[in-house]
Amino acid sequence: MATQVFKVPDSIIKDMTYGFCPGCDHGVAIRLVAECLDELGLKENAITATSIGCSVCLYDYLDVDSVEAPHGRALAEATGIKRARPDKFVFTYQGDGDFASIGLGESTHAALRGENITAICINNTTYGMTGGQLGPTTLLGQVTTTSPTGRNVEYYGYPIRIAEHIALCEGTAYSARVSLDSVANIRKAKQAIKKAFEYQLKGLGFSFVEILSTCPTNWHMTPQKAHDRVRDDMMKVFVPGVYKDVLQKV
Amino acid sequence: MSHIEIDEQRCKACYLCIDECPKKLIKVGEKVNKLGAKPVEFCDPKGECLGCAMCATRCPDMAITKVFRG
Ligand SMILES: Cc1ncc(C[n+]2csc(CCOP(=O)(O)OP(=O)(O)O)c2C)c(N)n1
Ligand code: SF4
Ligand code: SF4
Ligand code: SF4
Repeated sequence: MATQVFKVPDSIIKDMTYGFCPGCDHGVAIRLVAECLDELGLKENAITATSIGCSVCLYDYLDVDSVEAPHGRALAEATGIKRARPDKFVFTYQGDGDFASIGLGESTHAALRGENITAICINNTTYGMTGGQLGPTTLLGQVTTTSPTGRNVEYYGYPIRIAEHIALCEGTAYSARVSLDSVANIRKAKQAIKKAFEYQLKGLGFSFVEILSTCPTNWHMTPQKAHDRVRDDMMKVFVPGVYKDVLQKV
Repeated sequence: MSHIEIDEQRCKACYLCIDECPKKLIKVGEKVNKLGAKPVEFCDPKGECLGCAMCATRCPDMAITKVFRG
């Protein structure tokens, strides 16, 4: 008898199709979140504050209660939800522009306050939804619609290393960076998301996972080449790893 | 016998699964689905599938909906 080793998670809305472009790793990241919700039995008790960006329609994908937040404000909204209903499992799913550009204040202060919530941030080095502008994580040299000759320090400054930044906040319990460039790393990414969720369940404080993802459309690359770029360019600057873990003293 | 199931209406033809399968059991099909994409097909005449779920883990769109091993 063959045993089933993969299924569409129960926390994914039945028979939906993502609105993402072909080969976009937002789809993998949301599936991993759903698998963790399933495995920890959180589907019925979870509330997500949805962000603005390509994942704006998260409520059409994940079968959990959700509230849409204005651009960048997901963690302010999540804070309110969690403080009003500490019995609920509360998380955000945000793009890097949402989390670390317009929302950097909200994100940083949620971590500094040690809010007992979880944030997942998709780093694809650009503003995907609006057509590929320079964002806070755009790599030096990277050509975008608003850095047509490539990002240079003189004009645009340096990209932010989000997982390291959040790790420096005293209220952070867990901060990690993972990548979706390979199947092995997808499996590691899931473990990190699960750990971040578990830290909230243990009441340890702010937990955070930055996920290196792709934007084949705005990078003008095939999905295959986009994964090469994550490996060859992004992972050298945004090195995967655990930057803070209060239980491991990292 | 190890095998996979594909929901061809969900497939966006990114073809990431084709590269991922260690046994090269996934191929581009002839049909066009409602998304206007040419979905992939599972071709395993010799029963070589490992049930490793590499394809489903890589698929961004959950078009590979089930994997069975054994
Ligand atoms: C207040 C406000 N400013 C600007 C926008 C336009 N806008 C929509 S999505 C977005 C950026 C999204 O980029 P990111 O958060 O990196 O997510 P991605 O689309 O790449 O997943 C911007 C600038 C907006 N909706 N609201
Ligand atoms: S624009 Fe980029 S990030 Fe947005 S869905 Fe398309 S590939 Fe994904
Ligand atoms: S990875 Fe998924 S969406 Fe892409 S071609 Fe394969 S089955 Fe289709
Ligand atoms: S389960 Fe493994 S061997 Fe079978 S089709 Fe998928 S990748 Fe190939």
